[in-house]
Amino acid sequence: MRRDPGKLILNVFVIAVYIFLMAPIVLIVILSLNSGEFLLFPIEGVSLRWFGALWNSRQFMDAIGTSFQVAAISTFVSGIFGTLAAIYCIRFAHRMRGALRLFMMAPLLIPEILTAIALLFFMYQIGIGTRYSIGLQIGHIIVTFPYVFLNVSSALFNFDKSLEEASRSLGASPLMTFRRVTLPLIKPGVITGCLFAFIISFDIFNISLLLKGIGTTTLPVQLFDYLRWDFDPTAAAVSSLSIIMTLIAILIFDRFVGLRSLRF
Amino acid sequence: MSGAAPDARRAFLLVVPALALLVAFFVLPYFSIIIMSFREPATQGVHGGGFTLANYVSAVGDTFILRKLGETMLLGVGVTVITLLLGYPVAYHLARMRSRWNGLLYTFILAPLLVGLVVRTFGWMIILSNGGVANQALSWLGIIDDPLRLMNNYVGVTIALAHVLLPFLILPLLANIQAINPEVETAARSLGASRWRAFWRVTLPLSMPGIQAGAILVFVLSISAYVTPAMLGGGSGRTMSVLVVQYLVENFRWPAGAALAIILAVAAIVTVALFFALTHRVTRKLP
Repeated sequence: MRRDPGKLILNVFVIAVYIFLMAPIVLIVILSLNSGEFLLFPIEGVSLRWFGALWNSRQFMDAIGTSFQVAAISTFVSGIFGTLAAIYCIRFAHRMRGALRLFMMAPLLIPEILTAIALLFFMYQIGIGTRYSIGLQIGHIIVTFPYVFLNVSSALFNFDKSLEEASRSLGASPLMTFRRVTLPLIKPGVITGCLFAFIISFDIFNISLLLKGIGTTTLPVQLFDYLRWDFDPTAAAVSSLSIIMTLIAILIFDRFVGLRSLRF
Repeated sequence: MSGAAPDARRAFLLVVPALALLVAFFVLPYFSIIIMSFREPATQGVHGGGFTLANYVSAVGDTFILRKLGETMLLGVGVTVITLLLGYPVAYHLARMRSRWNGLLYTFILAPLLVGLVVRTFGWMIILSNGGVANQALSWLGIIDDPLRLMNNYVGVTIALAHVLLPFLILPLLANIQAINPEVETAARSLGASRWRAFWRVTLPLSMPGIQAGAILVFVLSISAYVTPAMLGGGSGRTMSVLVVQYLVENFRWPAGAALAIILAVAAIVTVALFFALTHRVTRKLP
């Protein structure tokens, strides 16, 4: 190995950027374990008292429950709609494929805040408004849908079409072919898309802010509202809980499917 | 393939649920923003009876709104330039690296993206507040006596947005640089180009599509961001999105808010088109 000042400078710079990327996240986790009253260094001692405070906070626990429910429904609906649409796009659409793909990806390409405003106006115009949080749920499905579509499309693109043709020519019905051949082959894409949909739904803010019904709040909106008036380690505890959940999801995912197969 | 025809027609049913969902709750709502922006304002109810251009006229004539629009665009350009300067070396480094740390570093880039936006911005509140980590560290080092105002202005918003959006720049660029054969740079070097010149004349132009994709993504996401400016911007660091939400939620001025949203969207499209025109000369020469 030859010494190279250019390479050294690049390495130092790159390490600094990685520290920049991870710093806020690491700080939150450390401060959530603080036994003191404030979000300041040096921490006074290590304790789980703020996680206890979180457990006893009805607002936060309710918000976590709502977020889980909304994310689960979004994942389920986007998972089915996205997979079916991707199969059509890759296998059957020919001339229209490019336009169709672009249309399916549109909710991802257009800023979420605009979609939130559009949906808010629309829900009022059809007379539903923000009742029952229907608009919120639909908005989450619209925004998570492209992630499933994209990941399933790229899984379909990468496998050999002749496997399906072989199954059909051996007498299997289209449904049978789908269940026994196509679905097992695209399973990693479906899992990736659904996992992504769940995590994204858990994070969606603008749609939740504008379309939440009275008395229902998702976790990000609740945290946002909380931080307007309070600035204490309870916020750090709930944040670090969501960080840890995300990390666990990433680790499990990396083990079974591989991080590189994620598609944006 | 005459037998495929009925199959293909039945297959269309696969895409019907998704199409119905998107048309009903994505396409139609976008029409309702446009329509809303031309409605007359009203004190009773959401909008008045007739249609008018007044929402646009008064927005364009309002120096406060024009200044906010300018500031938002400037913020977008600033964040894009910063993320490019920070992100390009990281993408280049990771694309050319052959080691077992590869996967871990990739996780470091991806993980922040999957952690919630509010959570990451909250992390920056901890760092940038008056008694926060940054000010503590600087005064401990003896660099400053009084705390710097890093929050409730555009400084904080710019830093935090650069952090939040950095992965969106790195990921497309990474894929792009990985696809460039390292041999072309070696060839340039062997023909006598310095390392810097080889990078400047060969690798950088070849990575232009990645730069384009990443920069547009970061620009559009930063001018339309709501959470970060709302949490870190305070009174003086309010962007157009914050203003729009304020119109809709606090002031209940929907027609005027809709007009502002459309003005922001049009400004974004014009800027992206300009950027395309400027970078077109470089990408046109690519194979």
